[in-house]
Amino acid sequence: MLNKGLSLNTLKRGFISGLKITWQLSKILVPVYFIVTILKHTPIINWISTGFAPLMKLFGLPGKAAIVLVMGNVVNLYAAIGAIASLDLSIREIYILAIMLSFCHSLLVETAIAKKIGLSAIKVIAVRMALAVVFGIAFNLIL
Amino acid sequence: MLSILTEAAVGSFNSVKQIAFIVIPIMVVMEILKDIGIIDKIARLFSPIVKIYGMKKEVGFPLVVGIVLGLSYGAGIIMQAAEDYKISRRDLYLLTYFLSTAHAIFEDTAVFMVFGVNGPVLLITRFTAAAIFTYIASRWMKSDTPFLEYEVTN
Repeated sequence: MLNKGLSLNTLKRGFISGLKITWQLSKILVPVYFIVTILKHTPIINWISTGFAPLMKLFGLPGKAAIVLVMGNVVNLYAAIGAIASLDLSIREIYILAIMLSFCHSLLVETAIAKKIGLSAIKVIAVRMALAVVFGIAFNLIL
Repeated sequence: MLSILTEAAVGSFNSVKQIAFIVIPIMVVMEILKDIGIIDKIARLFSPIVKIYGMKKEVGFPLVVGIVLGLSYGAGIIMQAAEDYKISRRDLYLLTYFLSTAHAIFEDTAVFMVFGVNGPVLLITRFTAAAIFTYIASRWMKSDTPFLEYEVTN
């Protein structure tokens, strides 16, 4: 099923699937980018920054990075990317966010899929969050 | 207000453009790898590895598919493989544990590389964590536990 032999179709399929991902991503990234940019110009961003600062400090992140984690887990990685792009974060901070998010993201959709395969939703979420937290703290110490 | 909207429009357009430049080539390469049969070869390579977890060697195929294609696209293939190869409940659990930690690893890594994150480091970290975590889970789940003897085909 996966072995069809190389042809021009291969390149076409790759290009189309890349375009599809970009399109899917844009549909989410653009609105999130707008929301976060507007938020940046309101006092709300300061409330979020100060409110989450103690928690985010564990991972060496500014308080506003909480927006990225929430977007990534509630919506998906693309939304998180939109938030990262619109917030001014350093490469080190983006690194830590990338590690944390790659373990734990799209919890609503992906947990539903894991459940369909037969896993317990709570266990999956607990494990993924634990990995994200552990690696977030570890990378903050290492980097 | 207008300057804020312009800032958002320009910024989001640039992000999308950057992402397209990275994601499209990666997806083309992935299709090439699929069509020259690399995935099958990797799956065969994984067969002895899944035995470390006490899994059937056939689990290698859905494992590799999930790692490469991701959960959403891979779920169908995983369910089909579970039925075709009569993969036990325990193996399916371990498989999903591995995959919920590391799936669609190329696509997920590609989007972060847009910001200059080192892809291989991200990939290796995620993969190693999934491997270790699944190993711990595999020791935990004794294959003789009655509840786990249930076959998916039922």
